Amino acid sequence: MEHLFETIGRNMFAIFGVMALCGAAFMIASRSAVHSVLGFLFAMLCVAGCFLSMEAEFLGMAQILVYAGGIVVLFLFVVMLVEMSKKKEKEVFQLQSRYAVAAVLIGAAAFVGVFRKVIFGASSPEALVLRPELAQGLDVAHQNAQAVSRGLFADYLLPFEILSVILLVALVGAVVLAKTERV
Amino acid sequence: MVNLNVVLLISFLLFSIGIAGVLIRRNALVILMCVELMLNAANLNFIAFARHSGSVSGQAFALLVMGFAAAEVAVGLALVVALYRKRDTVQVDDINLLKG
Repeated sequence: MEHLFETIGRNMFAIFGVMALCGAAFMIASRSAVHSVLGFLFAMLCVAGCFLSMEAEFLGMAQILVYAGGIVVLFLFVVMLVEMSKKKEKEVFQLQSRYAVAAVLIGAAAFVGVFRKVIFGASSPEALVLRPELAQGLDVAHQNAQAVSRGLFADYLLPFEILSVILLVALVGAVVLAKTERV
Repeated sequence: MVNLNVVLLISFLLFSIGIAGVLIRRNALVILMCVELMLNAANLNFIAFARHSGSVSGQAFALLVMGFAAAEVAVGLALVVALYRKRDTVQVDDINLLKG
């Protein structure tokens, strides 16, 4: 039993990752938009679990807050507003056969190109492993929020400020786009 | 201990699912969700490399990407709502205003 728990603990990332993939597949395969949103929510929560298992605690929590708390609710509201449409989706998928086959082949080639050492390489050098000894100075595990804030507000202050301007522009733009034309 | 290759593989697969969704779905809402999924796959890579190199820059940038995703989804959903008002549909093949 302990051995089982230990194995699960060591492979937490892979478990969450596979669950996220399942949620994403459900998202693009389901016919109703509400089911898609639920699959999206599940995938986002599993990605948050992946972040947590990579010891990015602050980002994992931010992921849950931003996605599960904000974006998914926004999507659900818009689905509620929009999906009463009379014109239903005739076919869920739109397959443009020739191009689709070409794209899949290119994608598979890219995949093999990137991962050929992992898949075929018996003589591959030792696998790249996350190195905790380099992260030691940051104390990532204990004070993740502090470390992130130092990076964000000291090293990357300018991108952060630009992001705030972008959020303001997006806010104004969303209001302008979505308001009724009754001025 | 997380193997970096596993992270890269899962993030690659998430990104591919996102691309496949954008290419084959016709519902504008689902397409937006797939874009979000691709941004998340990129975030996974950011965090994995931050952990790998022991620097915190990757995590800071992942947070910035999250903010961009929020801005993008706000504008995208506003566009979808505006489109629904004008054309009464969110299926992207019914939207062919620019087709001559």
